[in-house]
Amino acid sequence: MEKRQKQPIAKMKKGNPIRNYILFGIVLLLLPILVEIGIVQYSHITIFASILIYAIVSLGLNLLVGYSGLVSLGTAGFMGLGTYLAAYFTADLKLPFEISLIISVAIPMIIGVITGLISLRIEGYYLAIATLAISEILRKVFVELDFVTNGFSGKSANYPKLLGFFQLDRNLTYVLVVIFLVLIMIITHNFVNSYTGRALSTMRGSEAAAQAMGINIYRYRLLAFAVAVGFAALGGVLYMHFIKYTYPNTWTLAFSLNILAVIIIGGVRSIPGTIVGSFIVFGVPDLILKKLPVIGQIDGMAYIFNGVLIIVIILFYPMGLVHLWSDVKRKLMTKKRKGE
Amino acid sequence: MALNSNEINGIDTMGKDTILKIEDLSIAFGGLKAVDSLSFDIKEKEIFGLIGPNGAGKTTVFNCITQFYKPDRGTVIFRNNKNEVENLVGKKPHEIIKKGLVRTFQNVELIKELSVVDNVLVGCHIEFEASIISQILKLPKARKEEAKYREKAEEVLKHMGLYNIKDHLVAGQPYGVLKRIELARTLMCEPKLIILDEPAAGLNDTETIALIEMVREIKDKFNCSILLVEHDMRFVTDLCDRICAISFGKLLAIGTPQEIQANEQVQAAYLGKGDE
Repeated sequence: MEKRQKQPIAKMKKGNPIRNYILFGIVLLLLPILVEIGIVQYSHITIFASILIYAIVSLGLNLLVGYSGLVSLGTAGFMGLGTYLAAYFTADLKLPFEISLIISVAIPMIIGVITGLISLRIEGYYLAIATLAISEILRKVFVELDFVTNGFSGKSANYPKLLGFFQLDRNLTYVLVVIFLVLIMIITHNFVNSYTGRALSTMRGSEAAAQAMGINIYRYRLLAFAVAVGFAALGGVLYMHFIKYTYPNTWTLAFSLNILAVIIIGGVRSIPGTIVGSFIVFGVPDLILKKLPVIGQIDGMAYIFNGVLIIVIILFYPMGLVHLWSDVKRKLMTKKRKGE
Repeated sequence: MALNSNEINGIDTMGKDTILKIEDLSIAFGGLKAVDSLSFDIKEKEIFGLIGPNGAGKTTVFNCITQFYKPDRGTVIFRNNKNEVENLVGKKPHEIIKKGLVRTFQNVELIKELSVVDNVLVGCHIEFEASIISQILKLPKARKEEAKYREKAEEVLKHMGLYNIKDHLVAGQPYGVLKRIELARTLMCEPKLIILDEPAAGLNDTETIALIEMVREIKDKFNCSILLVEHDMRFVTDLCDRICAISFGKLLAIGTPQEIQANEQVQAAYLGKGDE
């Protein structure tokens, strides 16, 4: 997966991506209005919010996989930890949402950094194994620590209350999710185009060159991993406050693999690709497949769909579906030119 | 303790105009002595060539100097960009460039997904200071810094005749261009010593002649010393002030190109004459 030809960064710099991300956010904000008018079903707003939250988490993993060349299988654990911490701080300790948000992102990041400190010292692949283990340990903790987590019954929280008095409802929480997504997209864009992003790309391309140019590989791997964990935990916090319920069995290896599927299907090293991937992996099964006759009745259709899609994409379209549009356009252009 | 006093001795005895001094350098892989008690020194503003038949251990010497390999024995004493003399042995590979010592690789190590100018910008990675927060929020500090070094990179590219392709991707560029981009990358950090691993490999005759000019120009303009490994005898004798010939990790001779060419041992090693 690492050796595949990736979409060149230089190409992504065309236009003004930040303006496009903001426009994308504004378009997403139309959804609650469409729901109010009655064009879109009420339940669709939950599906959309989930897709966007998963997109935030996937952006973190894409940074890790696409830029530093590392793989984490612990996304579920860190996101789950984010949900439980957010619930504990706001529902049990009654802390303000903002403070809970900061602590709930910081604690998983600290655990992530400790995991990284140990596993990244050896070799890149050990991170995948270590994160898998940490994720399973965390899931076990969610089950066993039942006086805090309520074990298998799950834990609930409310929609966030901003600044201690401004209680959000479902639509406004959706708006908050959109704002966070756009912010994370901008941050990710700036990050990959900074000297740190260049250092990560260099490290992935050639460890020897990176070292010769003074890049401390260990430090940068750790940084990329910490960012990925931070995004996962942020996703967890938003998930907790939108879905309002968390349960240990959501945070399994299958979920981590789904996030990996998002970036492979959408496009490694691509921000729009990650969003596209999230819509395909988490949106298509719920929004389209379930509505189809016969196919919609099959249990676990989402897994079959994603599995088949990954195989097809790796075999025939390894750059990810985000490039489909531009490729089709280019083909049409050349055909037109030939016709003339 | 003995090694410690050796270190100090080496540092003390290093001449004022010497930039790099290698003493008793040895490394073995399994039973094979790749470099065996090798010693030589390089003067300021000198172009120094390291030659030897295939498998003589030339690249291993480079890797020992830049700390990609840890030598079993010996010292690598370097006069750094603060004019302090220090032993590089035991330092981390990524710390070496901060001393003012930068290298290229035998099989060009550039990043395919980055543009030419971005690849060159990696060369001054150590100069960047903006914090991570400043970078992700694109605060004025990060912006200014990026602009400043981008301008510098463009200047270096102009100097190397690569300015017109600065925004192209490295992937798909011809080999000669890749070699030049890699050379441009080394110039970004104000080096005192540049180590070139087979700079002329894979270049045609015209490109090789142009490279000789370019290396001389770089030496004068950037005021640095150059250490290079090369197979092409003509290239080395045309370009270098002094040459060190090694065979099977052992020193054969050090001297001017004329002296090396006349040396019988060197001729034997290259042409396969002599007894074993």
